[in-house]
Amino acid sequence: MAITEKITNTMKPTFWEGHIPVNYVYTYGHAGEKFFRAIKDKGTFLATYCSACDISYVPPKIYCDRCFTKLDRYIDVGTRGFIETFTVSFMNMDGSRKERPRILAMIRIVGTDGGLIHYIEGIGPDEIALGMPVQAVFKPKGKRTGAIDDIIGFGPVTRGRK
Amino acid sequence: MTERVAIVGIGTTGFRPITPDVSYRELIFEAARKAYTDAGIEPSEIDGFITAAEDFLEGYSIADEYCPDQIGAVLKPTHTVPGDFLQAMATGFMMVKTGAFRTVAVEAHSKASNMKNISELIGFAMDPIYNRPLRETPHAISALEMTRYLFETCTTPDQCAQVVSKNMGNAMHNPYAAFGAEIESGDVLNSEPVSLPLHRLDIAQHADGAVVVVLADEATARALTDVPIWVEGIGWCTDTPTLEMRDWGEAAYARLAADMAYRMAGITNPVAEIDFAEICDEYSYKELQHMEALRFCMPGEAAHLLETGVTAIDGELPINVSGGALGVGHLFEASGAHKILELVEQLRGEAGTRQIPDVAVGLAQTWRGVPTATGAVAILSNL
Ligand SMILES: [Zn+2]
Repeated sequence: MAITEKITNTMKPTFWEGHIPVNYVYTYGHAGEKFFRAIKDKGTFLATYCSACDISYVPPKIYCDRCFTKLDRYIDVGTRGFIETFTVSFMNMDGSRKERPRILAMIRIVGTDGGLIHYIEGIGPDEIALGMPVQAVFKPKGKRTGAIDDIIGFGPVTRGRK
Repeated sequence: MTERVAIVGIGTTGFRPITPDVSYRELIFEAARKAYTDAGIEPSEIDGFITAAEDFLEGYSIADEYCPDQIGAVLKPTHTVPGDFLQAMATGFMMVKTGAFRTVAVEAHSKASNMKNISELIGFAMDPIYNRPLRETPHAISALEMTRYLFETCTTPDQCAQVVSKNMGNAMHNPYAAFGAEIESGDVLNSEPVSLPLHRLDIAQHADGAVVVVLADEATARALTDVPIWVEGIGWCTDTPTLEMRDWGEAAYARLAADMAYRMAGITNPVAEIDFAEICDEYSYKELQHMEALRFCMPGEAAHLLETGVTAIDGELPINVSGGALGVGHLFEASGAHKILELVEQLRGEAGTRQIPDVAVGLAQTWRGVPTATGAVAILSNL
C-alpha cells in the first residue's frame, strides 16, 4: 500500500516524537457551583427543574435542553438513586490492569431524570443488579473540596438518612 | 437546485494496523490520486474540497490548515468538518445541491498508529468536571451502555460475540481489511475482560488508511461515468453530551439520523427496500443496537436476525460484509468513508469474492464513538 518502501529496519522507524502540553481550567458556572457547594457544605445533590417539560436535571443546568427556557429553580433531591447500568472495569487509561477491578455505574437519582456516573462501593459484582437502590457516600465534611471526588461512591442504602 | 448527486470516483489506501513508512499526508495523497483517476478528473477541475478531521486526533491545532496540499486543494475552496466522513459528505452533498459546485472531493483518514495514548486522547473528550476525574477508559462508558442494552433487549454477551465472529470472518474476503480472522464466539468471551460485559475482542482495533470520494451533479456524473452511484438520502443527528441525562439503552441518534435519510430517499419500509448495510460495530453490541435504531427490526430482535443468518453475506439483509470496524479496523473519522467505499464497490459490482448479487440500494451508518452520541446515515443506489 505504501507509495515508497523506505523502512528496512523496523527497530529504527523514522519519526519525530512530539507531545502537546495543554493545561486548562474548566469553570463550574452558576449551576455547577451551586451543585458542588451543596455537596461540600450539606452532603446533598441539587437538581434544576423545568416545569414546562417536567424534567429535572442532575447535574443541574441553567437551561432546559428540550424547551430551551432558562431554569432557576433548584431542588434538593437527596443522595439516593437506582443503578441504571454498571460495568466491572479492569483497565487503566494506559492499558494496564487495575490492581482491583472497580464497579462503575450510572446512578439515576431518585425523582430526577439525571444522575451521576460513579463507583459502587460495598456491593460485590455478583450482588449487583439493575434497579438496585443505592446511596451516595461522601468524604468527611472537612476533607471535601467541592469536586466530584468529594463522593467516594455509592453504597447500600442505610436506614435513617435521606 | 440540481436534482441528484452522485459518487463518480473513489480511492483508498486500504487499511493496516500500522503504516510506519508513510506520513498521514502521503496516505491521503495516495487515496486522492486513485479517486481522481477513478473519476477521470484532475483536482484542478474539482470545485470544492472537504476533509473530515479533528484537531486532537491529528496532533495539530487547526489541523484543517494542513489539509489542502495532499488532496490537490491548494488555493481552492476547502474546509474541514470536525466529524465523521458521512457528516463531511453531507456537506459536500449540499454544496453540489446548491448548483455552485459541480464537483466536490471529500476526504477522511486515520493515522491511529501515530497516537501514542489513544485512551487518554478519547478520554479527553469526556466532561472535565463530572466524568474525567474518575480516570475511567472510554471502553468503560461503552460497557455501561452495553449492560443497559442487553438488559432492555434480553440480548446476551454470547450473541454480541457472534457479531465479532461474523464480521472478522467477513473481513477474510476483504483485501482492504486489517483484522480478518476465523474465530468463534467463545474466543471472544474468553478474551481478557476490559470492562465487563466487554471483552478485548468485542472492541474494534484501530487501523490506518485514507479514503477520498468525488461527488458530482447529475449532468457532470453522466458525462464522467457509466456507473454513477447516487446519494439518495443522508441524515445526521447528535444527542446531548451529558452522559447523565441520556437514555442508556437505545441509540436515538442513529434512529433520528436514519429517519432523516429515509425521508429524503423516500424509503418507508427499510428492511424491504434496502439490500445491504454497513453499520457501526465499533463495539460488538453496537451492530445489534444500531440495527434496531435503523428500524431493521423491533428492539430485542436484532440478535435473532443475526443467529438465523439474515445478516450473513448470503442472508436477506447482509450487514457488514466488508468486515465492519471489527474486521476492517476502527478508523476514527474515516469510519463512514470505509462504509461508503464498501457500498460503492458492491453497487458497482466490483466487490470481488464478497460481491452480493443483484444489489441496488445500500445503507451506511456511523457513530462518532465514545463519548459522543452523534450518528449519520447515507443511502446510496445504482438505479
Ligand atoms: Zn423544558
